Amino acid sequence: MSPDPAPDALRDLPSLDPVIHAQPRLRVVVALAALGEEDQVSFPRLQQLVGMTAGNLSTHLRKLEAAGYVRVEKTYQHRTPVTYISLVRTGRRAFEDYTAALQALLADAPHLTTRERVP
Amino acid sequence: MLVHGDIAGIADPEPDRDQANSPQASLELIHSWRREAARRLFGTPELALAGWGVAWLLGFGACCLASSSTPRAAFPAWVAYLILGVASAAAGVISTVETVHPGRGIIGPSRRVALWYGWSWGLVYAALFFLILGLAVQGLPPALLARLWPGLAVLVGGVLYVAGGALWQDRLLYLLGAWTVMVGAASTFAGTPGNFAVLSLAGGGGLIAVAILLVLRRLPGRSGA
Repeated sequence: MSPDPAPDALRDLPSLDPVIHAQPRLRVVVALAALGEEDQVSFPRLQQLVGMTAGNLSTHLRKLEAAGYVRVEKTYQHRTPVTYISLVRTGRRAFEDYTAALQALLADAPHLTTRERVP
Repeated sequence: MLVHGDIAGIADPEPDRDQANSPQASLELIHSWRREAARRLFGTPELALAGWGVAWLLGFGACCLASSSTPRAAFPAWVAYLILGVASAAAGVISTVETVHPGRGIIGPSRRVALWYGWSWGLVYAALFFLILGLAVQGLPPALLARLWPGLAVLVGGVLYVAGGALWQDRLLYLLGAWTVMVGAASTFAGTPGNFAVLSLAGGGGLIAVAILLVLRRLPGRSGA
């Protein structure tokens, strides 16, 4: 299996951000976007919020981090390692663009790329 | 980079294949999940509002019945104070749990704002208690005290709702605060036991009405909540 296969459904929708478009990552991004700009959420709390296994969440967070959308910060609280996650400004903007692209796609002809329509 | 389940070279447990939605499904997911995530992260304010609404409705209602002289008081004043005290304590517990519980695992400005706002309720009501106690000790006539303390208690709650509305840019909360402030002030004109009736019905009733409005707004199929 290739490491990051191009999903069939994306072939028709070239301008939808594939990092966000995968359903589990969309859930993570929406949950993080519900927090304030400088807020951070701990890994276990986020895991409980989106209802994923730790392994799945780690995998998706790594992809979001690689895209520069989330920041993963390791720190210590009472000598216990804690991981905090936040949606950085780039990720917030990418999510807004993605939502706008979806709305434009649904409003207009589905075969056209959204890039021509979203200002 | 992650502590949890981060094992180098592990196979992707959830490959992206088959997980891309139609645009329609994605948009629906965003709308429904955004609302649900916000509910889980910020709690349900209508619970605390309804708790205080019921506390005021029952507590001030009981005070009204206890201080009525025509035909005669339904029960002694201490029973009314007990009802008000127990109902307020229950509402306080609900408010505290609803502030602290959803925010676990979250750090940052919005968490600090919520905690500081929550603490100001305890601070302000403790100060109000001592203000009334001081006036009573200084010999303010009981007839005046009976008009002053309930009106002030409701007015102060309204002030905090106005502040919360301004803080979170929440128009409904701000309007509720403005209404509650006016109810608290207006109650003093009604005399006793009329002031208790005003605070119970208009004050407690206002909180319950907004709580119901918030529940209706949250129902599925209503966007923009």
